Amino acid sequence: MAIDVERARRRFTIDEYEKMAATGILSEDDRVELIEGEIVEMSPIGAPHMAAVAALTRLLIGRVGERAWLWVQGPVRVPPRSKPQPDLALLRERSYRREDATTVDALLFIEVSDTSLQYDRTVKLRLYAEAGIPEYWIVDVNTDTVEVYRSPSGERYGDRQVLAHGDSVAPLAFPDAVIAVDAIFV
Amino acid sequence: MAVDVERARRRFSIEEYEKMAATGILAQDDRVELIEGEIIEMSPIGDPHAAAVDNLAHLLISRLGERARVRVQGPVRVPPRSIPQPDLALLRPRSYKREAATTTDVPLVIEVADTSLQFDRTVKLRLYARAGIPEYWIADVNTDTVEVYRSPSGEGYTNRQVLAHGESVAPLAFPDAAIPIEAIFF
Repeated sequence: MAIDVERARRRFTIDEYEKMAATGILSEDDRVELIEGEIVEMSPIGAPHMAAVAALTRLLIGRVGERAWLWVQGPVRVPPRSKPQPDLALLRERSYRREDATTVDALLFIEVSDTSLQYDRTVKLRLYAEAGIPEYWIVDVNTDTVEVYRSPSGERYGDRQVLAHGDSVAPLAFPDAVIAVDAIFV
Repeated sequence: MAVDVERARRRFSIEEYEKMAATGILAQDDRVELIEGEIIEMSPIGDPHAAAVDNLAHLLISRLGERARVRVQGPVRVPPRSIPQPDLALLRPRSYKREAATTTDVPLVIEVADTSLQFDRTVKLRLYARAGIPEYWIADVNTDTVEVYRSPSGEGYTNRQVLAHGESVAPLAFPDAAIPIEAIFF
């Protein structure tokens, strides 16, 4: 039964969300993320989605090496009320053992989209733009294209490019780490 | 900023919800209820709403005396995933100090509706009907009418009456406790 008439839901802060994990209300096998105060379930990951994540992991680590950390589906704090788990996050080099990754660490976020395309283009895009994440890629496994968003400004990005078969893309922070779009969708 | 694209939210059980209260994630002054696993905020109570709640409490207590408890805006457990706080609930007489009120204790729930009318007619109605609450009234302060729902069956009530000025209503469990409709909207 879905709630089909809107009433405001109680939203949670990052601290409250982390307390839920600490007290076992949310367990380790809860596949959730905190988005604008809402605890949303993550979609099941299909084969094309996982393959694109694996390809991007290999390509980025191969080209960027030890110049940055690559987090795969790890949580990043986006204060005050979000802790998304982007499919991939390129984070500046430092120790993350005692201090969580947060927006100022982010060089690039990547979401791989199959069924989540609309969500990634609207809710996630707004979240990342508002947080000042300098670059955001949406990798669409339905069309084998990469949408590259740069220059965050308010709720959006000033610059959008769509790259397809035959094109290549490199993170703004590492212009030499050139990736062929075809190599992502293998 | 609203989340305008749907994604499934994590739903919570009664136990998880109560743990949030016990650990301070939800505070005492959080005006929320658990409805079908979602923690939703309660609307602010306007004067006509508050007056109707007061009138109903006064009318019911004076007519029922010791035959039932009148719970005002208190929680009722509706397993497995709801703890609504109806504006009023009649409870069978027993001690509720150690054992929380649950569906089998409740012969009648009443919601006073101003802005919440659609929610009360759909989500709340389905919840109460499915839980087998024998009778549900919606007191609508916009039209000064009372919708009386009886005979829960599946997701609805088979019997619906709308009572207005000049008429009166009595709980099914206490047919002698007649209340004139205009005394509610006074």
